[in-house]
Amino acid sequence: MLRTLIRQELLVHLMSARFFAAVVITVLLVVANTFVLLGAYEERLANHSQREAVMRGKIADAPTYSSLRLAVARPPNPLSLFSAGLDTRFGSAVDIFHTQVPSLLRVGAPLSSKNPYLNLFSHIDLVFLFQVVLSLLALLFAYDTIAGDSEAGTLRLVLSHPVGRGAVLFAKYLAAMVCLLLPLLMSLLLVLIQCTLAPSLQLGPAEFLRIGGIVVTTVVYLSAFYLIGLLISTTTRRAATSLILCMFVWVVLVLVYPNWSRFAIDPIGDTNARRTSAYQQIDQIREEAEREERRFLANSPLTGKPPWFNIDFPESRRMFWRGGADQLIGKLRNTADPLVPHLQQYHAFMNQMHIRLAEKEGLVRQQMVAETELRRARWDERLMKLSPASLYSFATAAWAGTDVDGIVDYLRATRRYRRTYITYLQDKEAFASRQWFATNDGPVAWSDLPPFRFRPAAVGVYAQRALPELLVLCLINLGVFMGTFLIFVKMEV
Amino acid sequence: MIWHIVTREFFDHLNSLRFALATLILAALMVTNAVVHLRRHPEQVRKYSERVNTVRNAVKSRTQLYLLLQKGPGDFRKRPPSLAFIADGGEALLPGQIGSGGSWTKTTGPGNSLKSVWWMGYPYLNLRAMSSLRPTATKIDWVFIITYLLSFLPILFTFDALSGEREQGTLRLCLANPISRHALLLGKFIGALLAVLIPFYFAVLLNLAIISTDTWTQLDTAAWGRLGLIVLIASCYAGIFIAVGLIVSAATRESRLTLILLLLIWVTMVVFMPSTLGTLAAKWMAPVQTQNQFNKAKEAALDQVNEPLKQMRERLEKQLLSRYSLSNLPKMPRAAAQALVEAESAKVVDADLPMLAALVRKDVEVRERSNREHLAAQSAQVQRARAITRFSPAATVQYALESMAGTGFNRHLHFLDSVRLHIRQFRDFIEERERADAASLHLIGIPQGMSEKPVPPQAIPIFEDKVTFRDTLNTAMGDILLLVLLLGGCLLGAFLVFVRSEV
Repeated sequence: MLRTLIRQELLVHLMSARFFAAVVITVLLVVANTFVLLGAYEERLANHSQREAVMRGKIADAPTYSSLRLAVARPPNPLSLFSAGLDTRFGSAVDIFHTQVPSLLRVGAPLSSKNPYLNLFSHIDLVFLFQVVLSLLALLFAYDTIAGDSEAGTLRLVLSHPVGRGAVLFAKYLAAMVCLLLPLLMSLLLVLIQCTLAPSLQLGPAEFLRIGGIVVTTVVYLSAFYLIGLLISTTTRRAATSLILCMFVWVVLVLVYPNWSRFAIDPIGDTNARRTSAYQQIDQIREEAEREERRFLANSPLTGKPPWFNIDFPESRRMFWRGGADQLIGKLRNTADPLVPHLQQYHAFMNQMHIRLAEKEGLVRQQMVAETELRRARWDERLMKLSPASLYSFATAAWAGTDVDGIVDYLRATRRYRRTYITYLQDKEAFASRQWFATNDGPVAWSDLPPFRFRPAAVGVYAQRALPELLVLCLINLGVFMGTFLIFVKMEV
Repeated sequence: MIWHIVTREFFDHLNSLRFALATLILAALMVTNAVVHLRRHPEQVRKYSERVNTVRNAVKSRTQLYLLLQKGPGDFRKRPPSLAFIADGGEALLPGQIGSGGSWTKTTGPGNSLKSVWWMGYPYLNLRAMSSLRPTATKIDWVFIITYLLSFLPILFTFDALSGEREQGTLRLCLANPISRHALLLGKFIGALLAVLIPFYFAVLLNLAIISTDTWTQLDTAAWGRLGLIVLIASCYAGIFIAVGLIVSAATRESRLTLILLLLIWVTMVVFMPSTLGTLAAKWMAPVQTQNQFNKAKEAALDQVNEPLKQMRERLEKQLLSRYSLSNLPKMPRAAAQALVEAESAKVVDADLPMLAALVRKDVEVRERSNREHLAAQSAQVQRARAITRFSPAATVQYALESMAGTGFNRHLHFLDSVRLHIRQFRDFIEERERADAASLHLIGIPQGMSEKPVPPQAIPIFEDKVTFRDTLNTAMGDILLLVLLLGGCLLGAFLVFVRSEV
C-alpha cells in the first residue's frame, strides 16, 4: 500500500508543470553561476600565483638576513565555488617577521580582481543559490500536500483505505523529497562536469568528500523547508491560506531575518575600551624592550646611534622598521674593525629579545582579537542561526573551510611558519652573524629556506565543525515532522 | 463600472491574510531601518563637521601664498547624506575622503633642494571595510525593502487574479456583464496596486515619523521632494511587477503554475541578475590596467618630467668640477669649501628657477592626469557593468534610489567632480593673487618665485560638499524613464495577452 501511495505521489509531481519549471530554472541558474564563479576563481588563482612569484623574487633579492621582507599568501580555496564565505573577501597576505606574531588584524587586503570597483557588485555562490531557490521550491511542493488534498476531498478517499495516517504522511514526504532532489542532483552533476572541464580547478578525494558533506547538508536543509511547508499545510484548512503563509515564512526565514539580525543587532557593543587596554599593555612591552636595550648598550663599547653606531659603513641603507627590528643593508669599510663583533652581539641580543617580546605581544593581541573581532563574529553567527537558512550557509561554509575557523586555521599556519623561519635563522646562526647587516661576505643564499604551504585540514576536522549546525538542522527536521504527524493524526478530514 | 471592479478587488485584498502579513512585515522593516539610522547617523554627522572644521581652520591659518600651494586645499570629505537610510549604496567601500597624494623633496645641488606642492591623491577603495570577520548581510535600507518586497508582494497579490478566477469560473461570469476586457484588467491592476501600496505608504510614513524626530537629519524642502520622487519610483516598480503578474496569470490555466512561474521569474530578476550580470559583464569588458601596470606607467611619465632636473644637476657637477679642481678644494677648511660650493650652485639654480617651477607644476599635472585617467577607465567599466545589470528592474530601481538619495557610485563620481572643480578654483585663486603682486617673480611652484604678500583668510576658497536636487535628478532621470517605459510595456503586454486568452 505504501508503495502505491509513493508511486502515485511521485507520478503526480513528476507530471506537473511546476516540476518541469523547477528543473529548468535551477539548472539554468546553477550553470550560469558556475560559469561566472569559475571565471572569478581562475582570476584569483592567476593573481595568487603572480603574487607568489613577486614574493619569491623578493626573497632572492634580499642581500642580508635582516633585509628579507617575507610574506605569504593564502591560495584561493577551490570549494569557495560552493561557499565563498570569507575566502573571497577576507585578506590573504600575511607578513612574516621574526619580531611579530601574525594576527588577524594584520592580514592584508583581499585578493581582488583587476578593478577593485567591481567589488560594488555582490557575488553569489552556489550555496546561496540553493539556499534561495531550493527552499522556495520545497515550500511550493509542500503547501498543498494536505490542505489541497483535504479541499479536493481526495484525502478522505485515501484514508478510507486500510492505511495508517503516518504512512500517508511519510509517502507524501518521500515522494516530494525525491522530486526535489532531482533538480539538485542534476545541477550538481553539471557543476561537476564544468569543474572537471576547467583546468585550473583541481579537486582531490578529500575535496570530493567535503562536497559530499555540502550535498548532504543541502538535502537536510531542503527537507527542513519541505517539512515546514507540510506543517503549515496540515494546520490550515485551505490551500490558498497555506500558500500565503508559506511564502511569508519563506520571506522571513530566508530573506529578512538573516539580514535583519546582522543589521539591527550589535551583540557586543563598543569594544574600544578593551582595545585601548590591550594597546597599553603592548606599549608597556615596548618600553620594556627599550629598557633592556639601554641596559645592554651601557655594558657595550659601542658608541653613537643604533643601528650603525660609529662604525664606518660607506654605503648603508635602513629600510623599514617592524616590531623593533630594522632592515639593514650595509657594507663595512674595514672588516677588521674591533667594534664589529660587538655590533654582531648587539644584533643577536636585540633579535632574541624582540622574538621573546613578540610572543608576549602576540598573546596580548590574540586575546584582544578573541574578545573583540572573533567574539563579535561568533555572536553575529549565533543570532543569525535562528533561521535555518543561515544554519545551512554556516554549515556549508564550515564544510568548505571558508568560515571563521578556516581563517583562524590559516593564521595558525602562518604562525607555525614564523617559528620555522626563526628556527631556520637560528640554525644558520644568522642573528649573530655579520651577514645580518653587512654584505661583505656576499649575499645570503636563501635557497634552503623552507617554503610556506597551507594545506587544508583533514576532512574529519571540517565535518566536526559542520556537525553542530547539521545536527540542529536534523533536529528541526525531526521536531517538525513529529509535530506535523501529531497534528495530522488528530485532524478531522 | 471600472471603479466597481477596483473597489471590489481592493476590498477583497484588504480582507485577506496576505494584506495583514504584508503590512506587518513592511512596518517591521521600516521601523528597524529608522531606528538603526537614528542610532548611527548623528555620530557620522558630528564626526564630519568636526573634521571639516579642522580642515577649514588649517587652511585659513595659511596666509602665505606658497604655503597655500604646498599644503593645498586640505582633505575633502564626503558629507554623510541625510537620506542614507534610503540607499546604502556601498558607502562603506567607496572612499569617504580625498587627501594629498604625498610629497617629495629632490636635491637640486649642494645645500639646495626642490619641494613638491600639493596634488590630489588617488581615492583608494576602502577594501578593509569588506574584509571583516562578521558575516555579510544586505543592509535593511529602503532599497532592500523596495526591491525585494515591493516585487514579491505584487506577485502574491496577482498570481490568482486571472488564472484563479478562470479556475473557479468567476471570470466567465464577470465577462458576461457589459464590461470590456481591458476595463477588467485595469480594475484588477489598480486594485492590486492599491493593496500593495497602502501598506507600503503606511510603513513609509511610520519610518519618516521616526526619522523626523531626529535633529541631526535635516530634511529640507529638497529632501522632501526627493522623498516624494523616491516613493513614486517605488510605486512604479510595484506596478511593473503587478503587470508582470497579470501577464503570467492571463497566460496560464492553473493558478499554482502561475505562482511557480512568477516566483522563478522573481528569483532570477531580483535576486540573481543584479549581482551575476555585473560580474558576468565585467568578464567581457576591455581590461583596465592593474595597479602594478598603472604605477609603472606613471613612473615612466614622471621620469620624463624629471629629465631637465637631471640634466641641470649634471651640468652643475661638471661646472663645479671644472672650476674647483679636486686638488684645490681639500686645502681649504671644510666649512669654507662647503660655502663656496653652495654659493656657486645657488647661482646655477637661480638661473634655472623657471625650469624648476615648471617642473613642479608639470609633476603635479602628470600625477593628477594619470590618476584621473586610471580612475576614469575603472569607472567606465563599472558604469558599463551597471548598464548591463539594468536588465533587471531591481537593479534599475536600486540605481535610481541611490541617485535620488545621494549615495552610491554616481554620488561618488559627483563628489570627485566637485573636488576637482574646487581644486581648479583654488589654483586659480592662487594665480590671481600672484598676478596682483607686481613685485613677485611669478614663478608658481617654488618659494622664491612667489608673492610674499599675506593672503586674507576670508578670501581663501573653502570646499563644501553639496548635492543639489538637480544633481540627483539628472543622474536618476535615465533610470526613472526606463522604469516608466517598462511599466508601460508590461501593461501593454498584459492587455495583449489577456485579450487573446480564452476564458
